[in-house]
Order: sequence, then structure tokens, then C-alpha cells
Amino acid sequence: MRFSLFSRRNLLFALTGIFSSVLALAGFSLLADSSWFLGIFFIVSALLTIRIYWAKSNIHAKYIFPGVALLVLFHIYPAIYSGQVAFTNDSNGHQLSKSQAIDAILEDSRIPVESQSPVKYQLATRISDGEIFAIFRFPGLNLVAGNSNQMMLIGGSQTVINSDGLVKSAKGFKILQPNEYTLHAEQIQSLEVRLGSSQVLIPDDFDYLTLYRPGRTYSEARDEILDIATGVAYHPNQNGQMANSSGEVLYPGWKANVGFRNFTSIISNEEVRRPLLAVVAWTFINAFLIVTLSFLMGLVLALIFNFPALRSKRIYRTIFITPLAIPSVLSILVWAGLFQTSNGVINRLFHSEIPWLTDATWARIAIVLVEIWISFPYMFLITTGAIQAIPGEILEAASIDGASHYKSFRLIKLPLVIRTVAPLLVASSAMALNNFGVIYLLTGGGPSLANSNGNAGATDILISYTYKLAFNSQEGNNYGLASALSILNFIMVGLMSIYGLRRIKTMEGVN
Amino acid sequence: MKFSRSKVKYWMTKLLWRHIVGILVAAFALFPLVWMISAAFDVTGQLSTQKLIPTFSGFDNFQSLFSNTEKPYTTWVRNSLVIATAAALLQTSIGALAAYSLSRHKFRGRRVTLTTILIVQMFPQLLAATTLFLIINSLGQTFDFLGLGHQLPLILIFGGAALGVNTWILKSFFDTIPSEIDEAAKIDGASHALIFMKIIVPLATPIFVVIFLLSFIGILNEYLITSVILGLDGPSMTIAVGLQQFIYGSYAKNWGPFTAGALLATTPVLILFIFLQKYLISGLVSGSTKG
Repeated sequence: MRFSLFSRRNLLFALTGIFSSVLALAGFSLLADSSWFLGIFFIVSALLTIRIYWAKSNIHAKYIFPGVALLVLFHIYPAIYSGQVAFTNDSNGHQLSKSQAIDAILEDSRIPVESQSPVKYQLATRISDGEIFAIFRFPGLNLVAGNSNQMMLIGGSQTVINSDGLVKSAKGFKILQPNEYTLHAEQIQSLEVRLGSSQVLIPDDFDYLTLYRPGRTYSEARDEILDIATGVAYHPNQNGQMANSSGEVLYPGWKANVGFRNFTSIISNEEVRRPLLAVVAWTFINAFLIVTLSFLMGLVLALIFNFPALRSKRIYRTIFITPLAIPSVLSILVWAGLFQTSNGVINRLFHSEIPWLTDATWARIAIVLVEIWISFPYMFLITTGAIQAIPGEILEAASIDGASHYKSFRLIKLPLVIRTVAPLLVASSAMALNNFGVIYLLTGGGPSLANSNGNAGATDILISYTYKLAFNSQEGNNYGLASALSILNFIMVGLMSIYGLRRIKTMEGVN
Repeated sequence: MKFSRSKVKYWMTKLLWRHIVGILVAAFALFPLVWMISAAFDVTGQLSTQKLIPTFSGFDNFQSLFSNTEKPYTTWVRNSLVIATAAALLQTSIGALAAYSLSRHKFRGRRVTLTTILIVQMFPQLLAATTLFLIINSLGQTFDFLGLGHQLPLILIFGGAALGVNTWILKSFFDTIPSEIDEAAKIDGASHALIFMKIIVPLATPIFVVIFLLSFIGILNEYLITSVILGLDGPSMTIAVGLQQFIYGSYAKNWGPFTAGALLATTPVLILFIFLQKYLISGLVSGSTKG
């Protein structure tokens, strides 16, 4: 065999080599920025690229690897990450780490020292690094510049003082004029000056600092917050909060592991359970209605229009499947407009005043109508396919034996059609259980359920309710509970799909 | 004469009611499209006072759609086209590679691989939106072009989406290509890559068109992850995210430009769909006819 520098094989070696070097370099830069997961992911991908594409064996891996890599990064990792959130109490008031939460509690407890009148100060930036300082003089003491990190004396010959007692210039500092404050707004807002270990000076405004002393202290050794005035001790509780012996808690709390509590609260906590039961019930009813009604509609249409003498059946078929071709975000929003109560197109058409979208029952009907509109074309197509696949001889034999149209439909066509499309119906049901778009765009899950003391709505299905729990601040951004629900949802839909897949012949290797 | 009377009778009993049903169902199927068209040309810009035949206003709604500098429709169209085309191409090719291997190569865990890919994607990506945001955010800290507000990370996210379904449809199509063809090629010394490029890909072109178009429409429709990754700045939005801005809020529902934009976005997809109908149906129905 002639050696060629530019053979296909060498080209493949070179390309994958370059590609994986780029990946590895990217991985190391990510590690340097302490993005641990991403860094490791990139480096492992680089190694696997070499391992898979430079080897002669395991041909299948060469073809499956790109898909699996994207799957790991954008599906499996996020799923595991949100899965792990399900075992925490991550929600509003529980998003900080423990040390951040304790700092916040201590800051909240500060009490002004009344014996000390406010101290006049000026804002300045240090020229060397731009850091913001407060320049002030305690009565009878030297002139100092300080912030939360350090404090230094700045008196001496190089400091010029105006006649009104304010500093005009100081070495190493630039005194800020009021019109420059907005440039440094963020730093000025967090400015404070620590005095010793516990007292702190905090600006009241742009002119005066007030002295504060702590109202509570934290002891790391005992993991305890002590109220100085009352002597009451607070200890961490199960819920990621500091609580005293009578159960009073300090805010904010922190993100803590709560084990299976999110899952058990679904059963044991009345406030979680009541709206959830209603939502789950509607999730199943909704999916059942969509799949059965659109299947029946599709089947009936397939039977009616699978009629050879009907010459225009092609035109009808094209029209029937247009809902599949209109981007559904847009069509659902148009439907929402048509369903308006006052003067809405649909109400004017039927001379009615139906409160579509705002009354629980009518909103559910509207949802089902739109969902049927979206999914009947698909059902029409698959049932048409199934009917056309029935061997003509069977139907002929039946009619020779004297079977009526109805009998040959009920005893031959229907069972055969159902047998062929059953797996697809299972898949459709799995999708219908997660049908977020229609709910979110048409009613937003509303109207609110009467007895749900939260945002659960009459048309909310599990996924839209979960979305609200996580992303709606009125529901407390309860990521923990939302993740627990999405795990349950995933198990439910997953089991259904596995059941459906087991019945599909395509899964069984080469025909 | 007698012949033609029986023909009329046949038409009355067998065909007339079919046409009636057909027209009713067609009215249902076209209902929102018809109103979309009518509102796009109407002067009022309010779906509520809309009549079926619009008070024709010329192309005012289209003009106001294109002249709105805060809501740059043409930029949205370009964004959508770039993202949807690139991601659909990525989806189709990644799916094709995986499906080829699952259809042709014998290896252990084949069935498990396919099932796993399918099941993993049942985890609602909606809730993973926060995690995706965090991933893209930290990627962007190191590599600006892979960060929030850029299209490349979104293309990669969508490129791996729907892998399960696509692989499944493609595999069932590849399975119908007789394996004798590639075995003969293998005996003649063709490599696995050559068989894929020269035999499978040309024979499977119709199904690629199907997968590409379905992915394309699916990506055009996505708005949640798109808005999380791209943000809600005027110029970075896509059609699906952007057009909603016209009808957000209860006071400023501006149906005129919305329907005009929706109509412009729908028309090309609809035309493609009608022309490629035959292929698309075969792709959608695949699996139903081989019980």
C-alpha cells in the first residue's frame, strides 16, 4: 500500500486531533475560571474524541458520540441538577448559603448607639485603586479614611482643610463632589466602616455616619446566634433557619438539605395537597380528552374520506392538516384573541356572551377545543395510514361472507386500526400530559381555583403548575417543591412511554 | 337518462354528505388562519371588532410592523432563520449518525441506548431552564461567544433536543433500506463511512427533509428557553418571543401588526408544508403502518 500524507485516515486523525485540542484547551480555561463541571466535561470529551475516532474498533461509538455528548451537557446534567434541588428547601427566603444568611441576620440586628451623635463625613476614592472611602473625624480624634476593609490615618501636612472644617484635598485620595456620586452608586451603597470587632459606622446619607453596635452575635464553635439584650440563643433547625427553643425563627434562612420532605409534603401538607390533587386530576382528564376526542375525530374523518369515488379527497386532506403547518405559538395566540368574552369573534358568531378563558368550565372547554384543533390532523393521518394498510382481501372475504358495513368496521377495521396505532396513542398521551404551550399561552393556567390559596388555576396541568411554583414569585419561587414534582412527572410520563415503546415493533432491531 | 339519474342518486347519497362534513371540518381547520389573514389587513387592529371581510386598510399593519424600531421584525426573522436552520441541520445530522449506527451496526446495548435517549428527553426541559441559564452563563464568563445573548449556545441546545424522536423515526426508515445493498458494498471494500455517505444518505433524502422541516418548525415555536438564553432585548429576540410583545398586557393589545407578522411567518412554512406534504405525511405516519 502506498503511503499518502493526505489519505482519508490521516485527515481524520488530524481533524479530530485539532478538534479535541481545542476542546481540551477550552476545558482548561473553564477550570481556570472554576467552572468545574464544564471544565471536566470539555476535557473528558476531548479524551473520548481521541479514544473513539483514533481507534478502529467500536464503530458504533463514532456515530453515537456527538449526540450523546450534547445529551449529557444539555439534558442529563440539567436533569440531575434539578433533581438534586428536589431534596433542598430552595425557595424565596432560602436561597443564600448558611454563612451568607448568618451575615444577613447579624446585619439586621444592628442597633444605633444613641450616646454617639452622627459623625460628619466625606466620600473619597483612593487614587491608586479607585476604592471608595469615608473620610471623617471622631470628635477629638485624628482624621481617618476607612471602609469595610481597612482604616488609616490621613492627617498631616499634606492634607488641606477648608475653613468649614471639611477636607479639601488629601494625599492619595480624591474627594468626590456630589455630581460624581452616581458614578460610584453601588460602592457607596455598601459602604460601612468597621470599628474594632463589633461596632460599625454606616452612612445615613451623604453627610453623616451613624455608629451601630450588634444586637446579636454568632459563635462559630457552638453554631449559635445569641441575642445580646435578652440572652436568647438560636440554633439551626431542620428547615435551614436559626430558631430559639420556643420555635421563633430569624430571617433569612439558607438553602438546606431537607431529604424527602418535599415529596412527603405532597401527601402530608394540606396546603400543598389540595391544589395539587385538583391539578393532577385535570392533567389526566385533559390528556384523556385530547387523545380520545382527537383520535375519534381523526378516525371518523379517515373513514369518511378514505372513499375512492370522492375525487376531491386530496384537497380536503391538505386543508385538514394545515393546523400542523401553522407555528402553534402564533395560532394559539390568535385563538386566545378569538375567544375574548366581550365582542370576541366566537361569541359574536354564536350570539353568545360566554366567558371563555375566565370561567373555569368554559376555559377547560376552550383548552380542549384548541388542543383538538392542534392534534386531530395527526390522528387523521395515522388512522388513514392504518386503514389503508389493511389488506383488501380480508375486507373482501368479510363482504362475501355477508358482513354488513358496520360489522366489517367493528369486527375488522377498528381492531386492526387500534392495534396498529395503540403505541402512537400512548406516545401522544405522554405528550398530552406535558402539553405546556396551549395552557401557558391560552389561559396561563387560569382562572384561579377558588380554594387553592395560591396560584393553582382551573386549567393548570402538572407541568404548568410546576412552572408557576418555580418561576412565579407569588408562589415563593419554590424550586425545591417544583423539582420534586417534575421528578414525579418524569417518572409518570417515562413509565407510560416505556410501556408504549415496548409495544412498538421498530424497537426490535432490523426487520 | 336512466344512467345519469342513478349517478345523481349516487352523488346525493354517497358524496353530498361527505362534502358537507368536509366543508365543516375545513372551516374548523382554517378558522384561526382566516381570522389571522383578515385581521392583518384590517384597519382597527382589534380582533374584537373584527369582521370576516376586513375593512381593508391596505398594508398599514405591515408598514407599522416594519417601521417599529423598538420591535425590529426583520431582525427577529433573521434571528429565527439563523437559529432554526442551523439547529435543525444539527438535529438532523446528529440524529442520522446515531440512527445509522443503531440500524446497521450490531453492538450490545443497542435497544437500551435508543430507549435511554428517548426517556431522558422526557424530563421537562422547562424546569431545566434555570440550569441551562447557569451553564450558558458560566460558559460566557470564559468564552464570550458561548454566553447569554448569543445564538451559538442556543443552536447547540436545540441541536441535541428531540434527538430521541428523530433517531427513532430515522432508524425505522433506515431499517426499510435492504441491508443486502450495504453488505454487497462492504464486500467490495467500502468503509462504514462510505456506505453511510454514498448509499444510506442518498436513499434517505426524503426522510431527512421531513426531519429537517419538523425540527425547523419545532424550533420556530420555542419561546421559553429562547427567551431565557437570548434575553428580552429587542434585537436579539426571535419571531415567537418577539411577536408576543405586541399583545402583552391588557391595554396595548396590538393585533394588527401581530397578525401581520404572524401571517408573514406562517406563509412560507405553510407553502413548504403543502409542497412537501407527501414526504411529511410519510414521516409522521412512520411506525403506524408497520405494526
